[in-house]
Amino acid sequence: MTALVVLTVLEVVALVAALAFYLFWVGTLLARIAGNLEECAQIVHGIVADAALIGPGVEHINETGGVVAGALPLLYGMAEDIVADVTPRPEPPAEPEPARPASGTRRSRLLHAVGFAPDLSGTGGGQPSG
Amino acid sequence: MPIAMDSTEHTLWVSALIVGLVVLIAVAALLSLLIYLVRIIDRRVVTVRDTLKAAKANTADTVLIPQVATGVDAVLAEGLQHHLFLGRVLGKVKS
Repeated sequence: MTALVVLTVLEVVALVAALAFYLFWVGTLLARIAGNLEECAQIVHGIVADAALIGPGVEHINETGGVVAGALPLLYGMAEDIVADVTPRPEPPAEPEPARPASGTRRSRLLHAVGFAPDLSGTGGGQPSG
Repeated sequence: MPIAMDSTEHTLWVSALIVGLVVLIAVAALLSLLIYLVRIIDRRVVTVRDTLKAAKANTADTVLIPQVATGVDAVLAEGLQHHLFLGRVLGKVKS
């Protein structure tokens, strides 16, 4: 009888102690989780505040940049007009020279083979090669 | 004064003690499972917090966007000054 009573009391005490221990442990963990979640909420509020600047700012930049991009052709067109008007130009020759290839005239071995050397300076004809 | 107890009551008491022990073990197991799950939640919350900190660091520079907008406005104002200047110079050159 006494042993049963002692065992019953021990069992009840063990149950209460186990409940108290686990509940204290869970309470500690939940308190820590609550602190972390509160910090997360503050960070999210900061991110929202930062992101609120993006939309109006980018819209403003896009609008102003579009105006600048549209005005730049007008500016460089005016600058080209000014440069074309004030740049000195060389005097045109009285008699226009015949057009000659800028690369010069190629030496022909066929003409040289028959003894003809053309004068490419523009005066006179060809001379027989010695 | 000792209380007399017959064998049936003794058996019932012992059975109640065994059931109580089983309940105690079950409670401990379930609370251990609860602790395990809560610790998982704790780790995941820490991960979420770290990710949010990184996201906050990434979005911290958005305060520069209004400054950039102000700079682009200044570029536009300077372009208008250039337009006025080139308009005056172009008129004088053409005349």
